[in-house]
Amino acid sequence: MAAEWRKLRSVRSTFAVLGVVAAFALLCVAWSLYAAHYWDGLSQARRATFRSAPPEQPLSIALPVCAVLLGALPTTSEYASGMIRTSLAATPRHPILFSAKAAVPGIAMFVAALASLAVGVLAGKAAADGRPIRAFDAPFLDHVPYLLAMAVTTAALTLMTAGLAAVLRSTAGTITTGMAVLFVVPPVANLLPDPWSERVWSVLPSGLADQMARPPGASSARDGLPPAASALLLAAYVVVALGVGARVFARRDA
Amino acid sequence: MCRAGSGGSVDDVIEVRELTKRYGRTVAVDGLSFQVRPGTVTGFLGPNGAGKSTTMRVLLGLDAPSSGEALVNGGPYTALRRPLHEVGALLDAGAVHGGRRAFDHLGWLARSNGIGTKRVVEVLEQVGLAGVARKRVGGFSLGMRQRLGIAAALLGDPGVLMFDEPVNGLDPDGVRWIRGLMRALAAEGRTVLVSSHLMSEMELTADRLVVIGQGRLIADTSVRELTDRFARGVLVRSPRPEELVGVLAAAGGTVEAAPGGALSVAGLDVAEIGDRAAAHGIPLYEVTPRSASLEEAYMQLTAGSTEFGAVAS
Repeated sequence: MAAEWRKLRSVRSTFAVLGVVAAFALLCVAWSLYAAHYWDGLSQARRATFRSAPPEQPLSIALPVCAVLLGALPTTSEYASGMIRTSLAATPRHPILFSAKAAVPGIAMFVAALASLAVGVLAGKAAADGRPIRAFDAPFLDHVPYLLAMAVTTAALTLMTAGLAAVLRSTAGTITTGMAVLFVVPPVANLLPDPWSERVWSVLPSGLADQMARPPGASSARDGLPPAASALLLAAYVVVALGVGARVFARRDA
Repeated sequence: MCRAGSGGSVDDVIEVRELTKRYGRTVAVDGLSFQVRPGTVTGFLGPNGAGKSTTMRVLLGLDAPSSGEALVNGGPYTALRRPLHEVGALLDAGAVHGGRRAFDHLGWLARSNGIGTKRVVEVLEQVGLAGVARKRVGGFSLGMRQRLGIAAALLGDPGVLMFDEPVNGLDPDGVRWIRGLMRALAAEGRTVLVSSHLMSEMELTADRLVVIGQGRLIADTSVRELTDRFARGVLVRSPRPEELVGVLAAAGGTVEAAPGGALSVAGLDVAEIGDRAAAHGIPLYEVTPRSASLEEAYMQLTAGSTEFGAVAS
């Protein structure tokens, strides 16, 4: 774990990914300031019906992308350069090395997600400055379940991608597959006739955070899985992805 | 170096037993057996595609054998908890992340095996990279990468060392340095296995040779034994060659004309040739035993084992 952490923090791609997270946290601040400014220009009647995206909305786009990148690169970049052989020569027990390759970026993304989401929500509250904007004015503790759901989902996506990376061994293949699951499959699922549209959407990884916990002041709730079922499904995805990844990692020649 | 003067440990052994490795229908290594002992530099030779790198990968647990065993210090490499303390290996100098600094590259390796930062500094100084320790590896020449790979192999002060083509990309000073390093490591009692295509280099560096072709063992011998086996007789010059031919042929020698009016004599050694010539009063200007170079011996030994060869024009 310590060696993988040293690897992760000694390459520029890690800082680029975490920099994107930080940049989107700043975007949350900008979004909150804009929402507050917009609110000030509304009439009383419009304010009563005004619905805004929550302050952490920009991060809900960036975090899954960054999770896929950080989950893939520690494994696929080593296959690309051949350095995986050096890693295995230093740590010949495949399960230990694979666990570290998944856990270290998973923990890093969990911490980065939680910190950036907290910054986003706190910035929203500061920008709202007492204005009764729905999604901004709830107490911080009301946001915590959703922030945790988002952070856990981000970490889970990182772990799932690590498993996928061990199977595909290709940076392009792994990232393309991850992006397709996150951004191509959900719109395609929406094209399906009811009730299949809702059913398929509800089991996709990208929709599970919203089903585990709703952000305060969310405008509408789609029918979906109960929170516990969503969490269990997410855990099942992680277990399957890591299980398959670990098996392939251990059995295939390096 | 903790091994100086120890004379080596009986544990520091590489042992390959009936090793076979198949990739699909291709047999890369075919029933290969050999042993590498401490205190010597053992050259691992063979044409391209002979199975040298595959054997090294199996030894390091990177590829699983189809059958047979490849053992280091009596057990499989994958059973070692902190392998860098027992085995150091340089397989591919290019297999590093170009964006990582040399110090960080060795740093994570050290951390993975419980080795301190002080040792990282030591090996960087030992291989002559201390001045570029904070530079990114992507900017290194092939020779510098080779040195970094050698530093990684030395990191855990191991008793067994494996180098795959270690002089690739090194300048003459670097070649001399790695030659001296390998000799010094063996003199400290370590087990050193070096694969190389450079026969002249192996002639200067190796004590023993394991020669393979098409995945099979061709020779497991000392450099001297191999060159002697392919010795090409004795070169003789005399002002009376016609008489000498008759005398030597009568003594059981096989005599052929050599360039420059000399004779090439097989079947008689230098002393016998001198004695016979003296007995018949034939003067000799030159009597030179012609041992084969390692390269010549290797070429004869591996003839027919090359997998890839150019068509003569």
